[in-house]
Amino acid sequence: MSNALKNLLYKMADDALIIGHRNSEWTGIGPMLEEDLAFSSMAQDKIGHAQALYKILNEVLGEADPDTLAFKREEKQFKCCQFVEQPIGEYDFSIVRQFLFDHAELIRYDMLTQSSFQPLAQLAKKVKGEIKYHVMHADTFVKQLGNGTEESRARLQSSLNYAWHLSLGIFEKSEFENELISENIFVGEDELKKRWQEKIIPILEVANLKVPATDESKIVYGGRKAFHSEFLKPLLDEMCEVVRTDIDAEW
Amino acid sequence: MYGSTNLSEEDAKRMNTTVEDPEKLEAFESRIARGEKIEPQDWMPVEYRKQLIRMIEQHAHSEIVGALPEGTWITRAPNFRRKLALIAKVQDEIGHGQLLYSAAETLGKTREEMLNDLLNGKSKYSNVFNYPAKTWADIAVIGFLVDGAAIVNQVINSKGSYGPYCRALERICYEESFHLKQGHDNVVYLATGTKHQRAILQDAINRWYVPLLHFFGPPDKMSAHSEKLMKWKVKLASNDDMRNQFLDQYVPKIWELDITFPDPNLKKNNDGIWEFSDPDWNEFKKVINGGGPCNAERIAVRKFAEEAGRWVRQALMNPTEKYVVPLA
Amino acid sequence: MNTLDPRIKRLSLEPSAEVEKTNSHLITYEVFHQEKRGKHVTHVGVVHASNPEMALVMAKEVFGRRGKTTNLWVVKTSDVYTFGSDDEDMFETTPEKTFRDPAYYKVRDKIEKFQSKQKV
Repeated sequence: MSNALKNLLYKMADDALIIGHRNSEWTGIGPMLEEDLAFSSMAQDKIGHAQALYKILNEVLGEADPDTLAFKREEKQFKCCQFVEQPIGEYDFSIVRQFLFDHAELIRYDMLTQSSFQPLAQLAKKVKGEIKYHVMHADTFVKQLGNGTEESRARLQSSLNYAWHLSLGIFEKSEFENELISENIFVGEDELKKRWQEKIIPILEVANLKVPATDESKIVYGGRKAFHSEFLKPLLDEMCEVVRTDIDAEW
Repeated sequence: MYGSTNLSEEDAKRMNTTVEDPEKLEAFESRIARGEKIEPQDWMPVEYRKQLIRMIEQHAHSEIVGALPEGTWITRAPNFRRKLALIAKVQDEIGHGQLLYSAAETLGKTREEMLNDLLNGKSKYSNVFNYPAKTWADIAVIGFLVDGAAIVNQVINSKGSYGPYCRALERICYEESFHLKQGHDNVVYLATGTKHQRAILQDAINRWYVPLLHFFGPPDKMSAHSEKLMKWKVKLASNDDMRNQFLDQYVPKIWELDITFPDPNLKKNNDGIWEFSDPDWNEFKKVINGGGPCNAERIAVRKFAEEAGRWVRQALMNPTEKYVVPLA
Repeated sequence: MNTLDPRIKRLSLEPSAEVEKTNSHLITYEVFHQEKRGKHVTHVGVVHASNPEMALVMAKEVFGRRGKTTNLWVVKTSDVYTFGSDDEDMFETTPEKTFRDPAYYKVRDKIEKFQSKQKV
C-alpha cells in the first residue's frame, strides 16, 4: 500500500510545485497591481501545498526531506501532469489553466478529507479554504473576461481550446488506481473527472465560452508515468540552478 | 522602496515664489506645527500638493520597478524557505506600489497618469534598481542592505505631515522589516557557508557598495534645499544624516561576518560620523538620466506588463462608471 | 533583449516597444477589514476593481495576506459620503461636553466630608 500512497502524494506534490513555480513567474509583471498580488499569493499557496505533501512523504513514508525532493530529483522522477509544465503563455492561458486545474484540485482535496490515510485527510481539511479562494478567483476572472470585450472572449476561448486536452491529462490513472480506491485512500480519477466536468461546464456557459469536444486520442497523458513535455527539463534546470552551483551547501 | 525628497533647481526656485492665500497658509502651517496631519480634503498649498505627488509617485515607481531586479531570481531560489520568502518579498514590493499609488491618487493624479509618466520617462524612480542582480548573493544583499537603506528613509518619512502617505508607510515599514530579516538571514547563511557562498557574497557587496551610497542622494552641500519642505514636513532629514544612519546600522552587521566593503576609508569617527570615499556623483547623474546598466530593460519590462495586461483591464472596464479619487 | 532574468528572456521583448500609454486602471473601492469576531470593521485602504465581486477577491490579498482576518467589506468610493474638512469645527466643542462623560461625576469628596461631619 505504501507504494500506492507514495505515487498519489508524489503526483499531487509535483503538480502543486510545478504549477506554483509557473504561476510565480507572473509576480511583478501581472496585468494589474491587485491581480499581481493575488496571483502571487496563490502561487505561494501551491508551493506550500507541495512542501506539505513532500513532508508527509518524508515523515510518514520515509522519503527524503522536502528540499531534496523538490530540488534534487531528476526529471524522470517527477509525476506531474504535462498540463502544469506548460509555460505561462499570455494571461488568458494562465487564468484558464488556473480555472481548469483548481476546480479539479478543490474536488480532489474535498474527496481526500474522507481519506483513510489520516495525514492526507488532515492536510486536505487544512488547505481546502485556500483552494476555495483560488477557484473563486478563477471563476471571477473567467466570467468577467468571457463576458468582456470581443478580444477577451476570443482569447479565453482559444486558450480553453488549447488547454482542454492537456487538462484532461490531470486525470491520468496510475497502476495503483484500484488499490487507492479499494483501500479508501482516494475515490478515484474517473469519479473526480466526472464531478469536475459537472462543476465547470455550467460556469463556462455563464462565461459565454464553448466547451471543447473531447477527443480521447488527443488527451495529453504521460506525466503520471514520468513521460514529460519538452518544458519540464528546462524548468527544473532553472529551478535548481543555484543549488547545483554548490550541491552540499546550506542555502 | 524609496521616495526621493531631492528637489530640482526649478522646483526649488518656484517653492520660494508661489504666492498662496496668507490666511489659509497660516492655518495650514500651524496645523503641521501642532503635529497634526493633513488629510486629502484639506486646503493645501499648490507646491505642497505638487511635491508630495512627485515624491509619493517616485516612491511607488521605485517599488514596482524594484520588484524587477529581485524577480531575476524568483524562479531560481534554492529551497522552499527561500523560494517562498522571495516570492512573498517581491509580491510585497508590488503591494507597496499599490498602496503608494493609492495615497498619491488622493492628491488628484490618477494611477494611470502616474504609470504613463513612468513609461514616458517623465517621472523617475530610485537609481538603485538600475543595477543588475548578477548572482543569488545579490538577492541577499538587496534584501538586507537595499531594504535596510529604504527602511531608514521610510521610517523618517512616516513622520511626515500627509495622512495617507503616513498610513501607507506605516504598513510598508512593517512589511519591510520582514524583508530585512529574511535578507539578513540569507546574508548570514552565505557568509557562514562554503567558500563559494562567501565569494559570491563578497562580490555582491563589492558591486552594491556605491549604489548604496548613492541611494540617499547627493551630499547636502551639493543638493538644492528647501526650508519650506522641511517646515511642511515633506522632507524630514538631510541626505547626509540618512546616509550616516544607514552606515551606522548596517556596516557593523557586515563586518562581523568577516565580509568587507570595497573602501579603505570607510570608518566611524569618534564623533559618531562615518567617513567614506566620496562616490562618483557623475555616475549617479548618468544613471538618473537613463545611462545605467539596466534602465532600458526596466522600462521595457514595465511597458510589457502594461501592454500585456491592457486587454484584461479593457475587458473589465465599465464605461458608465465615473472615476473618483480614493478617499483616504 | 539582454537580460539576466530567465522569465524576461522568455518574453522575447523588443527593447524599442512603442508603449507610451497605459489604459485605465478601473474604479476604486474602499476596503474595510475585521480582524477578529467581535471587533470593529475598520478602513484599511483602496483597491482598483471592476465590480464588488472582484473588489473582494482583490482585497483579500491586498489587505488580508498577513495576520488574522475574519471578513472584509468593500464599498465603491463614490458611494461613501463624508463631511467636508471645513466642517471639522462642528466637532470642536464636543470634547468640552464633559457632562456626558462618566469622569465628570465625582462624589467621593462629598461622601468623605459628610462622613467626617457625622463622626463629630
